[in-house]
Amino acid sequence: VKRRERLVVDWTRCDAHGLCHELLPERVQLDDWGYPVVTAGELPQRLRPHAQHAVTACPQLALRLVRVADR
Amino acid sequence: MTAPDVTTSVPTSMRLLAGLEDAARLDLDDHVRVHGAVDDAVGAGRVDLLDLAEAVRLRGRGGAAFPFARKARAVRDTRGHRLVVGNGSEGEPASRKDAWLMTYAPHLVLDGIELTAAAIGAREARLVVGSPHAAESLVDALDERAGRRLTRRRVRTTVVAVAERFISGESSATVRASEGAPALPVFSLTRTSAGGVNGRPTMVSNVETLAQLALLARLGVGGYAAVGTADEPGTTLLTVHRDGRPAVTEVALGTPLGAVLDRSEVGPGLLVGGYHGSWVPAARFDEVTLSVRGLEAVGAGLGAGLLVPLPPGSCPLAEAAPVVRLMAEESAGQCGPCVHGLAAIADRVEALAASRTSPEQMALLERYRRLVPGRGACGHPDGVVRFVGSLLAAFPTEVTMHQHRGCGRRGRGLLPLSVEP
Repeated sequence: VKRRERLVVDWTRCDAHGLCHELLPERVQLDDWGYPVVTAGELPQRLRPHAQHAVTACPQLALRLVRVADR
Repeated sequence: MTAPDVTTSVPTSMRLLAGLEDAARLDLDDHVRVHGAVDDAVGAGRVDLLDLAEAVRLRGRGGAAFPFARKARAVRDTRGHRLVVGNGSEGEPASRKDAWLMTYAPHLVLDGIELTAAAIGAREARLVVGSPHAAESLVDALDERAGRRLTRRRVRTTVVAVAERFISGESSATVRASEGAPALPVFSLTRTSAGGVNGRPTMVSNVETLAQLALLARLGVGGYAAVGTADEPGTTLLTVHRDGRPAVTEVALGTPLGAVLDRSEVGPGLLVGGYHGSWVPAARFDEVTLSVRGLEAVGAGLGAGLLVPLPPGSCPLAEAAPVVRLMAEESAGQCGPCVHGLAAIADRVEALAASRTSPEQMALLERYRRLVPGRGACGHPDGVVRFVGSLLAAFPTEVTMHQHRGCGRRGRGLLPLSVEP
């Protein structure tokens, strides 16, 4: 089953550790202060495992994968 | 200024402010004398108030201008113990209209709370209020109503006093305040309509919007829409600044700006909406009409209903820079891009205002304005970026002068930086 998902950052949690960029440079850049700049839009299926890894690796649990229709 | 149809619409537009000519609070008896009873059909629930709100296209008056009926139906269609939150935490240092309304016409707001609660099936309401005077007036008004019913609904209403700061007026912050927590914005993937106060379906509405509903329930669609435009019937409250002093007034939607301000009072331009709002250059004065659509046409919005004209001889950059700094300081400090980005933007706007900028600094300002929006739990960073962007767009001559020697004019502190109680 194909899930349509996108990455969302809980900005109140994010502390600019930058692991999301390390693990998913295809979709996450860092800004001048080290906070993520996430590419807008639906996450390509092939990147899902990497995205899932980035979500679990975030020390602040600030990165989420949500269904596109969710918000 | 040619506006032949204006003179009639101004006097008849005093509806929320009816009976307040000498700024004396309307107690319950005054309220009933001035505004009369709620229409029987509405009061008894035979007419759905949300249908009326949809018919007059009632939009929120807190800043976002969201259609009231759509939001209320989303809450009504949920399961659970629904709740109404009246947002009376203005937060805007220059705005007074909500505090004025709650202080002098508290029963209109309470009518609106009860009518909304009845329409969505809620039995409980919280009123989140910044101004201590307003909170006192509402608490007194609740006492006056004890044992007397103006609408059919009995609603347990509590007044929640909050320390007023800019971001305390943000919708999710008022929900937090209603839970007894600090009034700070929250990150959530759930809409407030589905999960707000303590996870309950919550209808958050600005207090003027609630008062508009109290008028609608009395006037009906025809009476309510007797003033305003076809697209945007009714009136709206404004806070208009003159000579550094705010005055609250009410106009029919679609009223030309020239009916509220004299062209000669406006030097370089004016601020419209609030500190998340937009700047309009004086050259566009005659184009401006006061409605959501009319202001959209000049790149602005009604926002929180603020109008601050900058008088002749003033420098918009010098007036705006301290506001940008204040907005950076007013960040709740929860979200990195807001904390760092707004401070960095404020630095560059201050440098520009002081004519100490450089092409590199201007390029950085440009970069940060693109980097910050959409990256916070609330709309604060986006609002500040809009304020700065419209400032630079509205006053290109001043911006150019300030990249060289400056315009030679100092800031006069025309924009208030603190909320007076």
